[in-house]
Parts: sequence; C-alpha cells; structure tokens
Amino acid sequence: MRNWTIVAFRSAKVASARTSFPAGSNPDARYFRGAKGDCLRSLLCIFALLAFASWARADEEVSFRRDVAPLLLDNCLACHGPKKAEGGWRVDSFERLMQAGASEAPGFVAGDVDSSEAFRRMISDDEAERMPLDGDPLPAEQLALIRRWIESGAKYDAEDPKSPLATIVPPPTHPAAPESYAHPLPITALAFSPDGQTLVAGGYHELTVWNAADGQLARRIGNVGQRTYVLAFSPDGSQIVAGGGSPGRLGETRIYDAATGELLKVLGTTGDVVLDVAWDPAGKRLATAAADGVIRVYEMPAGEEKLTLTSHSDWVTAVAWSDDGTRLASASRDKTAKVFDVEKGELLVTYSGHAQPVRGVAFHPEGKEVYSSGADNKLHRWQIADGKKTADVGFGGEVFKLVRGGDFLLASSADKTVRQFDAKSHQQVRSYSGHTDWALSVAWHAGSQRLASGGFNGEVRIWNVQDGSQVVGFTAAPGLPRP
Amino acid sequence: MRFSTFATLVALATLIASPLASRAADEAAEEAGSPARIELFPQSIQLTGVRQQMQLVVTGFYEDGTVRDLTRLAEYTTADGQVAEVEGSVVRPRADGGTQITATVAGQSASATVEVRGQQQPDPVSFVNGALAALSKQGCNAGACHGSPSGKGGFRLSLRAFDPELDKLTLIREDFGRRTNPLDPDASLLLAKPLMKVPHGGGRQMTSQDAAYEVLRDWIAEGCRLDAAEQPHCVRLEVFPPSGRVLQRPAQRQQLCVLAHFSDGSIRDVTPLAVFTSSDTEVATVDAHGLVDGLDRGETAIVVRYLEFIETTSLTFVRDIPGYVWNDPPVNNYIDQHVHRKLQQLKYLPSETCTDDEFLRRVYLDVIGLLPTVDQTREFLADQAPDKRARAIDSLLERPEFAKFWALKWGDLLRLTSSQVGPDGVYKYHRWLEQSLRDNVPYDQFARQLLTSVGSTLDNPPANFYRTAVDTNDCVETVSQVFLGARLQCAKCHNHPFERWTQDNYYGMAAFFNRVQRQKTRRDGELFIFAVAGGEVTQPRTGKQMKPWLPQQGELSEVVAGDRRQLFADWLTRPDNPYFARIEVNRIWSQLLGRGIVEPADDFRDSNPPCNAELLDALAEDFVQHGFDRRHIVRIILNSRTYQASFRPNEFNESDEKYFSHYRPRMLSAEQLLDAICQATGVDEPLGPLPAGTKATQLPAPDLVKHEFLKTFGQPERQTVCACERSSESNLGMAIQFFNGSLLYNKLRDANNRFRKLIAEGKTDDEIIGQMYLAAVCRLPSEEELQAARAHLQSKPDRLEGLEDVNWAVINTNEFLFQH
Repeated sequence: MRNWTIVAFRSAKVASARTSFPAGSNPDARYFRGAKGDCLRSLLCIFALLAFASWARADEEVSFRRDVAPLLLDNCLACHGPKKAEGGWRVDSFERLMQAGASEAPGFVAGDVDSSEAFRRMISDDEAERMPLDGDPLPAEQLALIRRWIESGAKYDAEDPKSPLATIVPPPTHPAAPESYAHPLPITALAFSPDGQTLVAGGYHELTVWNAADGQLARRIGNVGQRTYVLAFSPDGSQIVAGGGSPGRLGETRIYDAATGELLKVLGTTGDVVLDVAWDPAGKRLATAAADGVIRVYEMPAGEEKLTLTSHSDWVTAVAWSDDGTRLASASRDKTAKVFDVEKGELLVTYSGHAQPVRGVAFHPEGKEVYSSGADNKLHRWQIADGKKTADVGFGGEVFKLVRGGDFLLASSADKTVRQFDAKSHQQVRSYSGHTDWALSVAWHAGSQRLASGGFNGEVRIWNVQDGSQVVGFTAAPGLPRP
Repeated sequence: MRFSTFATLVALATLIASPLASRAADEAAEEAGSPARIELFPQSIQLTGVRQQMQLVVTGFYEDGTVRDLTRLAEYTTADGQVAEVEGSVVRPRADGGTQITATVAGQSASATVEVRGQQQPDPVSFVNGALAALSKQGCNAGACHGSPSGKGGFRLSLRAFDPELDKLTLIREDFGRRTNPLDPDASLLLAKPLMKVPHGGGRQMTSQDAAYEVLRDWIAEGCRLDAAEQPHCVRLEVFPPSGRVLQRPAQRQQLCVLAHFSDGSIRDVTPLAVFTSSDTEVATVDAHGLVDGLDRGETAIVVRYLEFIETTSLTFVRDIPGYVWNDPPVNNYIDQHVHRKLQQLKYLPSETCTDDEFLRRVYLDVIGLLPTVDQTREFLADQAPDKRARAIDSLLERPEFAKFWALKWGDLLRLTSSQVGPDGVYKYHRWLEQSLRDNVPYDQFARQLLTSVGSTLDNPPANFYRTAVDTNDCVETVSQVFLGARLQCAKCHNHPFERWTQDNYYGMAAFFNRVQRQKTRRDGELFIFAVAGGEVTQPRTGKQMKPWLPQQGELSEVVAGDRRQLFADWLTRPDNPYFARIEVNRIWSQLLGRGIVEPADDFRDSNPPCNAELLDALAEDFVQHGFDRRHIVRIILNSRTYQASFRPNEFNESDEKYFSHYRPRMLSAEQLLDAICQATGVDEPLGPLPAGTKATQLPAPDLVKHEFLKTFGQPERQTVCACERSSESNLGMAIQFFNGSLLYNKLRDANNRFRKLIAEGKTDDEIIGQMYLAAVCRLPSEEELQAARAHLQSKPDRLEGLEDVNWAVINTNEFLFQH
C-alpha cells in the first residue's frame, strides 16, 4: 500500500511531540532494611561450623549401602528424586548422584571433598544454598560419615549402580512396638494360623497373635514396619508373610518364621507401602501389590523378582491369582481392575466399571470372570474376555478387599458388615453384622469353620460360619481394654 | 587450640555485635519517638485452658495526633510470673490465678489484667477450630493444592475447610488412616509431607516452629478427636486495630490481633491460625504472624480469615514527600472535596484542569459515545462564558444519543443478544432499555421492573431478564453480580474461598427465584414468565431445605407463599440497602473515569475495598436523596474538577494510579472507535440490517451485525453478566486494522469523504488539515504538526494521495485512539 509506512513514522513523531501518555508509575525508593540480620546470620554459621569439628567414628569402614544411602534417602530424595529433581540433580541411584546437576559440578567426587558439590552445599555457611534447603543442617556425625566415605574413595558396595537407592539399602530394623497402645489401630490385616488355633493381626510395628477361642493375646512378633496391610501364611504353614511399611516412605514384604517370630527375609523394598500379597495355588510364587503402582511376582522360596507389572497409574490395592495359576487380577486406586497373563506378562483386560478407586479383586472359580469391589459401594462381576459387567451387588458403604475361601467369597465393607457370597452364583449366603465401625479386613479358616473380621476401631470379631453367630470379640490392641 | 579459636571468635562476635546492638537501639528509639501516652490491647485478658494465648498490641499516641504501633518495641513485665508470662508480645498462661501485665516503652507504660483458669483440666484440640484452621493457615486446602476438586496426589481436602465432614473422612479414615498416626504423631504423613521429611509435590509448607504444626501434632496425638455437638463454634471475628488507622513514617509496621468470638461467649486469640492477605501488596505486606509492613504510601485492606469467617482492617500509610506543598486547588462540588482530602492525606497533588478541547472530546465520548462535529467543536471553543462546560454537559444529557449510548452499556450487563432474547425480542428489550434511560426512570423502579417482571417477553420486555437468566442459579448469579456487585458463582459448589459468601447463602438467595417459571407460547419467539405458588430450594451438599436469605438480614423468619421476588426487590431498593446505590454509582463512576472507586466495578468484597470509601458513600447518599436519579449522578461527576482534570501528571502525582489525581487515558471502546473513524473521515459505516446512519454505539445487540472491526477491538459477545467481558486488552489485530486494515483504507479512499468534499469546495490545504484535526481530535494542528503535514504534501506529486496520508496519520495518533 504505497509508502504509508514513512508517513506513519512521521506521524508518530508528530503525535509524540504533543501527547505523552503516562506509562507505569515510578516505584518509590524502598527503605533499606535487613543488613544487620545478614551479619548475625553469618556469625551464627561460624559457630555452627565450629561445632561440626570432626566427630566421626574413625575406626570402621564407611559403607555406602548401610551408612550413606539411608542419609541421602531421608534428607535429599524429597527434592532430588524422579518426581522433583531440583537443580537438575537426583539422588535416587548411585549413578545419578555421582553426576552433575545444573551447576555442572558433580554431586560427589571420589577422594575430593572440596569438589563434591553436594557435600559442599551440606556444609555451606550460606543459608541460601545450604542443604537441605529451608531445613536444619545434617547433624555433625552424619556429615562426618559422608566426608569419610568421600575421602575413602566414594565406593559403591552394591551391584548395579543404576539400582534405585531404596532397593539397595539394607532392610531396616524397625523400632519396638509400644508396650501398650494409647489408641487402637485400624485392623487392616488378619490371618488364621494353619491349625486355626490362633489369629494373627497387624499391629503397630508388630504382628499380634491372639487365641482364636477366647481372644487373649498369645504372642507378639516384632521388627515389623509401621503398618501391615496384608498377612498370609506360606502354603506349608511355617512362615508368615506380612506386607506393609511406613506410609509415604517405605514398602516391604517381610517373611517371619511362624514358630519363632524370627525375620527370615525381606522382599522388594519400595517407596510406599505394600497393600496386598497373594500366593499362587501351587505355593511357588508370591505376587505383591504396592502403593508405588507396581505388581511384583517373586519366585519362592528364593525370593527372586520374576515379573514386574507397571500397568496401573496409581496404587495397586489388591492382587489375586486365578485357580489355575495362569492369570493375575489386580485392583487399583486408578479406578480400574486388570487381568494379566502371567506367563507372557501381558495385560489381558482393563475394567473401568467402578469409576471409583477399586479396593478388592478375586477370580470366579471358573476363571472366566472376575469380582471386584470398590469405593462405588459395589461388588462387580465381569468377564475377562470383553471386560463387560455381568452383575453387581450394592453395599451400604465402600467395599474393601475380597477374600476367596473355597466356594465362598467374602467382602468387608464400610457399612460395618462382612458378607459371604456363593463364589459361583454370587448369591449372598450370610451377612455378619455387629461391628460398630467400618469392617476393613476379613480372614477365613476352613477347618474350624471360623471367620474373623477386623474393624477400623481396632475391634476383631470371630464368627462361626455355620450359623453366623459371634464366637468372640475383642480389641486387638495390647494394653487397651476389650470393648 | 580449639579454645583459643573459640575465644577469638567470641571476641570478634562481641566486636561486631556491639555496634549492631547500639544501632538497633537507635532505630528502635527513632521508631518509638516520644509518645504522649501508650495503650495496651486488650485491657482485660481471660485465658481459659492451657492452649490459650493472647497477642498484645501496644499503641503509642503522639502530640501531633499520630499513632504508632509499639508492640515490638515495648518491654513486658508480669506482676506474677507464676500465673502468666509474656513471650515476645504474646501472653501465655502458666497457672490458675490473676495477675497484671505492664508494657513499657519510651518512658510510658500501660497495663492489662490477666485471669488464668483451667490449667489443670485437659484442653484437647478441636477438630474444626484447631486442626482444620491449621490446615487452612498453611494453605493445604487452597484451591491450587489439596483443596482443588480432585485434590492433589490422591489427597483431597474441602476448599478452605468448608466441608468438615468430608475432611474428617479424608484425614482420619481414608486409606486406612494412612495420614494420621496417633501412636507416633510425628510419623504422620500429614506432618511429614509439609515438613518435607517425605517427598511432597507441594514442597515445604510448614516448619516445626509453626503454630499450625503444634496444633496438628497435638490433635493427632490426642487421637484425632472430633468435636462434640456442644463444642463452641466461632460466631464472629474481631481484628485489632479496626479499620481506619493511619501510620506515618517512620511508623510503618503494625501488629494485628485477631480475636474469635465463640458461641459460648468466650473470646480466643486466633492470630496464630488466622490467614492474612493484603489487598495491595505494593502498599503493604503482611506476614503469617499478622505483622503488617508498609512499603509505600496508600491504603490497603488486610483481609483476615479464620475458618469461614472473614474480617478486614484497612490501614493507610503516609509519609512526607520532599518539596510537597498542598496547593489548595479549587473544588467544583463534594466529589472534589472527598478526592482532595484523600490526595492531601497521601500527599499527591491533583493535575491541572484539562483544556477545553480535551474536555469537549472527553465529555462527548462519555455522554453520547460520539465525537463532536467540527461545528460543535468550533462553537464550544469560541464560547467565552465561564459556565460553558456545565451547559455543554446539560445539553448532552438531553440528547437522544445519551439514552442510546447508555443502553449499550446496560445491554452488556443484561445480555441483550438476538440469540438469547430472540430476533424480535431483542429490539423490544432494547427499546424498553433506551426508553427507561431517556425518561430517566429512577434506578430503583428500573431494577424492580426487571426483577419482578411477569408475562410475555414480547409484551413486557423487562420479563426478558428471566429469559437471559435461564434458571434459578443463573438468577442468583446475575442478580448478585449486577445489583449486589458480588461474584457468587463459587458459592454454588462451596463456600466462597475469599469472601463471606457461603454455599448456604447462595441457595438461600435462590429461594427468592426458584418459583419463576418460563414457558414457551405459540407466538414465535415469545416466552411467558410467571411464578408458581410453591416450591423450595434444597442445598445440594447438606440436603437442607433453604429459607429465603438476604445479606445482612439473614433468613426470613416467616414462610412466604407465592412469588417471593417482590420481597427481594423491596429489600434491594430500600434506601439503606448497603449495596444497591453504591454498586450503581460506582458503575457510573467507572464508566466516566475509566476506573471504579471499587475496581473491578462489579467486584465488591471485603478484600477489594474502595480506594475512597467516603467518596463512594457520598455519591451513594446523593443518589438515594435524589430518588435514584442516574442522570443526576452523571451530571455531578462530569461537573467535578476531578473529572475535568488533565491526563498529564505532575511531579507529585505521576505514581498515582488509583486516587484520581489525574485523568486516566483509555482507548475508545470498539463501538466508539468505529463511530469516531466514521466521524473523522466523514464516511458512515453500514451496519447490516439496521437503518442507514445507525451508529455502532447504538447497536441493540452484537450478534445483529457481525463486524470484524468491532470484534477485534473487544466488543463483547454478551454471554455473561461480567463487565470484564468487554475486553480492553490490546492485540496485534488492532494494530493491523489501523496500519493497513480495509475499513480505514476504504474510508480514506471514499470519493465522498471529508477531505475530498473539502477539496471540491475549493478549500486550501491548511483549511483541510485544520478540519481533519478538528474532526478527529477536536483541535487545530499545532504549528509543528502543520509544518510536517505541509512538507509531506509538497513531497507528493498527487495532492489526494498526500491528504490521504495526512488523514491516516492523524487517525493513527494516540490522541485519536484514546479518550484523554
């Protein structure tokens, strides 16, 4: 359009000669503050440094797995992990923590304390860069350990430097359970001993063992994680498998000698709690479901991880084997239930019918259908072939884990009842009512025809399956009176 | 070795510390000054239970009438330290009994009595008053975090704890009680996550020093107790100091004390669990402890929230400006008095009065939406009478274009579109609107006609109000935004996160409108509006049947049968209604001054206070006294010196953006701009099916004519009642329209445009250029501008082409694009 541009340029000049419009305001000069605070702060830091003067045990060799990795997990992983890698630096594996972050200085340099950026920041005077940021500095003895590990060559004493740190640290020895409980604990896990004489319940940092006949405390098994979400005896009855951990921090499956209570083995340490375990019908494999969203299958008794299924996008809340041992079904907080081919490790079907977190799962005896339960207050029955629902049963509240006991299917619910269904026809056989709070867990013993249920308020009730009567009720919390 | 090092350091520390200490003492002495007396708040303190405490506030009163907060500078002594102690400026109980606390500063002292009880009894943390308040304090349940509808990381809290029942389940029971651990409280995820002892997507949100930490930890340790039915609940908040305190430098900080009054008559200090926000963080910030720090002169409202209770206290910060002297500018009416009072307090100087040409262009655009003609401008500029501005205002208000232009503004609010009101209905509704404005129907009657309308939307156009507000919820939201200046949409699903509106209020208001029915008739485009005799509203969350509820009135006591809208209209239009008149005068003010006294103009809330409350009150009162006469308010504003102030700032007001010390230039609205281009070029723009000569500022509805230029410049679709729908953002499309858009190009090339006609009349270049300036910017060109234009014409072989260029250039000036 001709040479209007030139005119536009001129006109802008003409306009600005006469009209100048106020642009943003001039910020008033702010009064200077805070100088003395900075001085005091650095002074304090000098004192703090002085207090750090070498303190460490000089005699024994520092182990990365045992001494250093747990410190890094506790103090650094929150901000320098796969979820949140502040400054581009991560500590979730040895390989990564030796690398450089955004600052381009390596986290740790063997034998060179001064060049180890991560350590430099842990002992820095400057609060703006001192790690953990906004937190208290690490205690002097811990810093000394890390320093000695660097000085002695920053060695890695596990196998694969790519392994997540959480999996290489030795299983922790858990603190002792409280002598007596100040508050009852929700009963999230129950299992009858093979002879039906005793009932094992998940306690706080322990398993509690109760006489099934009268509900008296028989035994306490220690060195257990904070909470236990599932209990299962090994097929030969000699071992107790306990899945649980510390919410948000640690998940583990621990195996105890049923006779002595001795810890025999710890399977697969994970970052969040184990919520379910299931033995395959042959008793050769153990499947676990955890809040890290992963299903793991271990070959037993070796405890070797054979299969890892990561198909769920949220907690896996329950896992179950088909009667022929070829399929695994799972339930998840991601609002789906799934079925996998174990041999091929393939996903066969995803069921989304609950539209709410799914809490429990069990196979139909004929293996072509699956039951699942969840926060939609329903038990669903659906087909593996096409993921279509064939039936549902309504409850008065959320339905937790499902337990298959031979021909029976058991479901515990927030409506305070435990219901027993015919596993083939899903017809209700009986409803057990009496809990005064949510019924969270249920266990079954064929030989004695007993059923045990655990409530949110710590109550355990043992029922006679033949007539539905209650045999005994007690609060499974050492030191607390019976209700 | 180590000892000697230590000794050196101590010596060093002493060396550094002593000048520091003396400097701090100097600063403190300067900040305290020489008060004539001091006061201690509260005067009498009751601490019942071990968890109670009291934040003290010490105020110094000075000879010159100023006040200062001396809380942090005072020293406190307790007569009986066994009974209570003061830590910092907080009283904490020790044992049952009575004692006295004395604050001393700058040679003055003041005392308060303390009565301590219940130190032997258990004092468990309340779930709602303690634990939930603590989560709100740390922001856990904020909308961007776990308070979002789907929560975060699988953990969902109700927004700002509006639903304790849901939170109870989530905190104590969900996922088998995963988050709270009464057996080992510090291992609770609820604490470990915000402390970042466990990875937390939201980062560190709490320290073990925070009051919220102690409350949450104790609540968990006590077994996550729920509140008994008889647990006293909060009924109101009291914030000290109350609104209105003026702090003059060096006084710039203010400690607040927040007292919650409970249903059992007890009063507790909830300062540690209250959430503080400053409405203007350029003026002052406030920290988590309720300590306000003034940064700049101005006013700010400190909004204090505890549970669903909200209270505000406004503070004014002033300081001496070197060289500032109040020059006592003349006042035209009460508006100027109020504006000047504020300016004088904050030490701003108002700008000079604008020039006649600026005034004329400004007032034409504001009253009738159009530029004055060349003749009108010439006549006005030639007029020498001192009252010519007042006369111009009066005559403009009588012009029919006034009603047409202001109908456009109301059309935006009432959502006049052909798609929502129907192709016939939209003309009828618009005509009714225009007629109301032409007849100057009092605003209370105007509102009543809309709110209580019944019958056919074609025969009784105001009934269209219930056609555009399609259901009960829409009615609540429309009525509250248009007439109460409150954006109530949030309260549909949960308590308003920043305001006192609750979900109950929303459905209580709905009970006035739920009986309105809308029925289609056989007549094309007609809807029949009527009210049925019965029907109640159920609150969806609580399932409770709601009684009709009015702000500041509460629930109606008696059950009202039939159409309840009349009752609502009665309340709304009462002269003492605190919203009705204020919202409308503020709306008018913002349309004339480019910024509301409350801004945004339809967003009245405690956390968005007026920048000049006295001015707003005075306008509202004037409005009520003049029988809700809108034209009177427009007139009084236009006649004020404040309205007529120049847009040019002076040395003492260039930083002022909100106290009206100078006029705010603003871009012409889409419709004004289109009309102005037509006026400047002398070529009308055809607007679809509308009669020739119809102005864009007189369009009944935006969807009658699809006009790209109007859309580009922010013409609203009228889909919402929000004034914000009219966009004032600038965009690239606008620049392109003006640079080489077809609309402007065609008008400049039009054979019958202004300058071509003038050429035909045989006018000289200077005469033509002069007319171009008069038509576009209401003034003659300056000598410099004239020279530049002449020079350009001489450089062009073709005179027409040169004049096109000059006209284009004039239209591309900020002076044309802006109202100034």
